[in-house]
Amino acid sequence: MRYPVRVQPESFNITLVTPEGEHTIRVGSDQHIWEAAAAAGIRLPAMCHMGHCLTCAGQLEGPGEFDPSDARQYLPQDRAAGYILLCTAKPRSDLRIRTHQQRAMRRFRLDAGLPAPYAGV
Amino acid sequence: MTAKDVVKAGDVTKRVGVEVIRARGVDVDKLIKMLIANAGAEFASTYYYYTILRMHLAGHEDYKEICEDARLEDRAHWELIVPRIYELGGELPNDLVAFHNQAGCPAAKLPDPPTAANILQLLLESERCAIRSWIEICDMTFGKDPRTYDLAARILNEEIEHEAWFIELLAWERDKKSVPSGHFRRGEPGDAPYSKNRPFYIPG
Repeated sequence: MRYPVRVQPESFNITLVTPEGEHTIRVGSDQHIWEAAAAAGIRLPAMCHMGHCLTCAGQLEGPGEFDPSDARQYLPQDRAAGYILLCTAKPRSDLRIRTHQQRAMRRFRLDAGLPAPYAGV
Repeated sequence: MTAKDVVKAGDVTKRVGVEVIRARGVDVDKLIKMLIANAGAEFASTYYYYTILRMHLAGHEDYKEICEDARLEDRAHWELIVPRIYELGGELPNDLVAFHNQAGCPAAKLPDPPTAANILQLLLESERCAIRSWIEICDMTFGKDPRTYDLAARILNEEIEHEAWFIELLAWERDKKSVPSGHFRRGEPGDAPYSKNRPFYIPG
């Protein structure tokens, strides 16, 4: 008899560079980074939890891969600029992320003529 | 500092109603922008798109009526909060597309496929976004700006009720499980018990 093999999802080291200091946590490939941080006691900004309002925005410091497909509005231009929405992003590699980038991302979207929820906040 | 020290008698360029809340720690400029984003979510992301969702609930006249209640109450929220934006010294964007694009919640666009379960889930998540958005306003204004807090709390009350409705409906439609909202029926559709603006005065 062959037993089904349960494949555990991979997990990655995610370093969060916050205004209060750096934190490195393990985040599974099936987890949203914001939730994993919250479970680790790291409180990051967020509001809509749908990958839309940009409140959870971070920016990659260095290369890395992630899956943003759970976001309701994450644009190719965002990816090119290195922005990441932590409430809906799932890691696909180790990542180093500067958090609290909501103002910068909203400014980026406005300057690029793209939708900018809570513009100016 | 008192409001009397800030605003000179007869000065129509400043508002005591704004200076008193600024003196109590409210970031008025930020509050205006957040109210405009929330107003965008009420009018554009929900009221407009819920009109389309409602049209695709044929055969589910019960779901259709609840969707209609939520739609009209979200319109009431929009109408309730717009005057406050102007009272605070703000204004709506003079461009509907720009207004839509700064809305704090995603547009509730018709899902594919437009099944009742998919529509109900979309309605549910839209209400959840609204709850998150309005409680931020409550947090910003509690104890500092009684008027905005009152308006935001009224809206929040109804959004929480909306979430309960759609949990009940989705749990039954998709999972055949009973998760009661615990609510009695509204009166007429759009009665909006917490938030409806005063109706037009009809003499006689």
